[in-house]
Amino acid sequence: MKNALIVVALLALIGVGVGLYLYNKPHKDIAHATPDFELASAQLFADFETDEAAAQARYLDKVVEVSGTVREVSAAEEGGLNVILNTESDFAGVICQFNAEQAEAAAGLQTGQEVTIKGVCTGMLMDVVLIRCVLIS
Amino acid sequence: MKNVFLAVALIAFAATGLQAQKYFTREGSISFFSDAPLEKIEAHNGQATSVIDFESGKMEIAVLIKAFQFEKALMEEHFNENYMESSKYPKALFKGQIADLKGVDLEKEGTYPVKVIGSMTIHGVTNELEVPAELTIDKEGVLTGNTNFELVLADYEIAIPSVVKDNIAKTVKVTANFNFQEFKKGS
Repeated sequence: MKNALIVVALLALIGVGVGLYLYNKPHKDIAHATPDFELASAQLFADFETDEAAAQARYLDKVVEVSGTVREVSAAEEGGLNVILNTESDFAGVICQFNAEQAEAAAGLQTGQEVTIKGVCTGMLMDVVLIRCVLIS
Repeated sequence: MKNVFLAVALIAFAATGLQAQKYFTREGSISFFSDAPLEKIEAHNGQATSVIDFESGKMEIAVLIKAFQFEKALMEEHFNENYMESSKYPKALFKGQIADLKGVDLEKEGTYPVKVIGSMTIHGVTNELEVPAELTIDKEGVLTGNTNFELVLADYEIAIPSVVKDNIAKTVKVTANFNFQEFKKGS
């Protein structure tokens, strides 16, 4: 009987531990994640423009590493940063969103500079959007 | 689903050239806040798009559900997979009309309260919505818009399991801020 109680208590402890771990599970570590796709920013946008549904099935939630030319860098809320990369379109681009802890590395980027950026693809509105970005080069 | 915004943008290019009556942003900020007895949850998105046409008063806002960021990874996972089904419904869209635009003078510095009426589509469900908003024109003539309103999750068929009913509010507070740019060729 006593043993059974100990077992139950142990199981409960493990349950709480697992629960706490899951609850506090960190966000995906983009910096160390292997990209699912590596392509040019223009190609990523073209894929969405050609067939949005197919592009969503292919890229949503995936770690995508894009290379392209910086069009614009702008400050965002809470110390973050948005870097917009060129596409074939004059208007649309690929927006790469950097959170505060990664923003410093990207803050010095200049318009016209060639860069490679890794982030999670969330879809397209005017532009294709990558979040939690990390500057690769 | 076609890219509504690009269509709006292209029409703008073709129809009006440089008549500066259209404003847009691709870096609008939208947050929501759920205040339940056991947990306070908030999420931010800084890549919302919005277009306002001051000639017709028509406006649109769109946001990618997957681009909302939460403090905890698990919340973000549940939000996307269980509640919003964001792989199936990747966008939320508001299409509407600014009701009392006549009182807004884009040339004059000031804060103008307006009423926005339209249809909100979230989680594949569309509801009519009427919310108060504020347009501000600053000294430099820069236009910003902001609004606060509440959304009832049940209206959008977002089901919250009873196990977490004390963790997630039935009504969430939404805050949106947009810094608009004039729509010009090459912008």
